[in-house]
Amino acid sequence: MVVAAHPLAAEAGLEMLKKGGNAIDAAVTTAFALNASEPFASGIGGGGFMVIYLASENRVTVVDFREKAPSGVPQEIFNEEGRIKPDGLAVAVPGALAGWVYSLKKYGTKSLVDVTQEAIKIAENGFAVSQTFSRINKDEYEKLIMNAGEGTCYLNEGFPYEPGDLFRNPELASTLKLIVSKGIDEFYKGEIAQKVVKAVNEKGGVMNLEDLALYEPVEHPPLKGIYKDYTLFSLPPPSSGGVHIIQLLNIIENWPVKKWGRNSPPYIHHFCEALRFVFADRSRYLGDPDFISIPVEELISKKYAKQIVSQIKPDSLLDSYPFGRFDERENDNGNTSHICVIDKEGNIVSLTHSINHFFGSGIVPEKTGFLLNNIMYDFSDDLSSPNALGPYKRPLSSMSPLIMFKKERPYLILGSPGGTRIFSSLTQIIINVIDFDMSLDEAIEAPRFFTYSSQGKARSISLESRFPENTIETLKNMGHSIRIREAYDKYFGGAQGILILKDKEVILGGADSRRDGHGAGY
Amino acid sequence: MKKITLAALFLLIILILVIFPQERKESASPLFEQPLLITSAGQNAEILMVSVLAKRAGLDSILSKIASPKDLENIKTIVLVLGASSKGLGAAGLDLAKEKERINLLVEEAQKKNVPLLCLHLGGEARRGPLSDELISAFLPLAKMAIVAKSGNKDGFISGICEKHDIAIVEVEKTADVLTPLKEAFK
Repeated sequence: MVVAAHPLAAEAGLEMLKKGGNAIDAAVTTAFALNASEPFASGIGGGGFMVIYLASENRVTVVDFREKAPSGVPQEIFNEEGRIKPDGLAVAVPGALAGWVYSLKKYGTKSLVDVTQEAIKIAENGFAVSQTFSRINKDEYEKLIMNAGEGTCYLNEGFPYEPGDLFRNPELASTLKLIVSKGIDEFYKGEIAQKVVKAVNEKGGVMNLEDLALYEPVEHPPLKGIYKDYTLFSLPPPSSGGVHIIQLLNIIENWPVKKWGRNSPPYIHHFCEALRFVFADRSRYLGDPDFISIPVEELISKKYAKQIVSQIKPDSLLDSYPFGRFDERENDNGNTSHICVIDKEGNIVSLTHSINHFFGSGIVPEKTGFLLNNIMYDFSDDLSSPNALGPYKRPLSSMSPLIMFKKERPYLILGSPGGTRIFSSLTQIIINVIDFDMSLDEAIEAPRFFTYSSQGKARSISLESRFPENTIETLKNMGHSIRIREAYDKYFGGAQGILILKDKEVILGGADSRRDGHGAGY
Repeated sequence: MKKITLAALFLLIILILVIFPQERKESASPLFEQPLLITSAGQNAEILMVSVLAKRAGLDSILSKIASPKDLENIKTIVLVLGASSKGLGAAGLDLAKEKERINLLVEEAQKKNVPLLCLHLGGEARRGPLSDELISAFLPLAKMAIVAKSGNKDGFISGICEKHDIAIVEVEKTADVLTPLKEAFK
């Protein structure tokens, strides 16, 4: 089964499984196909993370292909409004292609030719634009007209696509064919690399050819957490997602959430208070582990969760939300579209990747058809932050592709886009499935909420408009300020998941209607 | 015989609809003069599309996201692109009240100078809702003409205001279709 953010991509991955490819082959096929079918959210101009479960070895591993800052990045790139100008400075060195091909070569069974064919077909033949595509295309028009120009394929004769319009990207098809024929060095060291550097620098960036040539993905062990009878594997830093999902579950484990009821006022209140503590830790500790020491083990410990629980009041807000304080350790090595795939052997891939904002930087290297990321926005504009930018650094991510096991067997594969809402939304889905006995699809579609803290102070709770008025009033009476969003708001992400029941006899896919998600199985 | 008459009548209706598509009330001659000042009511993204359209139409235009009365010097027409964007308002540091105040000041000054208002609504259904409708209700009645994307007027809300206030309205299917009526509206 394959679940992805676009039906064409999910079907492409499914075809690969039917042709005998394993989960890694299918995930990479789906990733390439998403570049063609959902180009505004991910692609070879971006980066991400992949959590892989190898059934025969009963082992979970992580492939990190997060983008890196160019070597010549200036110390300050954010203006007073927190924006990066010019736009070229927002582009980091892309890692997606290197990460996909690394995983394919090490754990896949198919060739680069095989995994790109469906993407090339989609790019050449095109597809009818969805409401989601059209709406995002309109929202990001300014960036596209400024950086990609009126003639870009990402605009329809200079204007946004309307639902039903045909979107084709023959230049992306040509780029993929070139990569297939010459190898990925063409992207990192060849003609495409030159076009990337030229495009970035023409828009005020500082990337050079060596930055691209030096890029390499990293493989490392996953982060492990336990929630009740379940074991969760997700990402260690430079993503904060895995750390914070485990933190949140450790905290929530101490509360009678089932008794409170799903999305009841006490449940939302306690969850939000936990989120505010988590965000305090995020801004204090999380960043690129190659450059800073991160107390990961302490942050995800049950003991620390209990410390946080003891501070949370049942019916009111705190004055401030302090970050955790831990003893220094010696030799500390601490270290957005989602795809879920499971194959017939039980191998699993949970992959989250992104070009950051929708349509990324809006910069398209000449005649290549792919969008470059603007992931530099994920760095902190605070120079004293552990996530302050620097040459070759990977900005902190919130991506949280995860695989959960129930008594030693795979149970839930899950992930989502959605920026800093990702780990909150995924935790809500996990609780919906495990504690509130919801089906995966119900759990994904259920109304969501989100909050955070900034400099120790509580921020308002964002809620989808489907929450009852009396719930909102009760939360207000507790002292929360409330912001109502759309009924199904993509602000909260677009989760994709697979639930495996009865030892692979029943496999259920769940795709989020907040985006164009789709599941395909056989 | 009766069947033939009905069929002929049906064909005539189809013919009329094909020849006179969408236009509820058409201006006989250009209504507006150049140069024009393009601004939005609601900090929407469509303002840039209108700027591209004006450029393609060969119109002498100035774009200002936060136009104020002082920007009206030498201006002969205000093109007001209707529709609220929470993202756009936030980026401009405005809320709906401040945005309405800005447009009110601009329109009041324009009225003093006899500068007419051309309103556009191109965001379709996605650019409707309480905030957008409040802006449409406030400023569309002051327009001399409106050009709107059909998908944003499915409920007849915009055409209803135009009818009530005797405003010429042209409905278009797509953004690119705005080019012809926009060209024709200007001297």
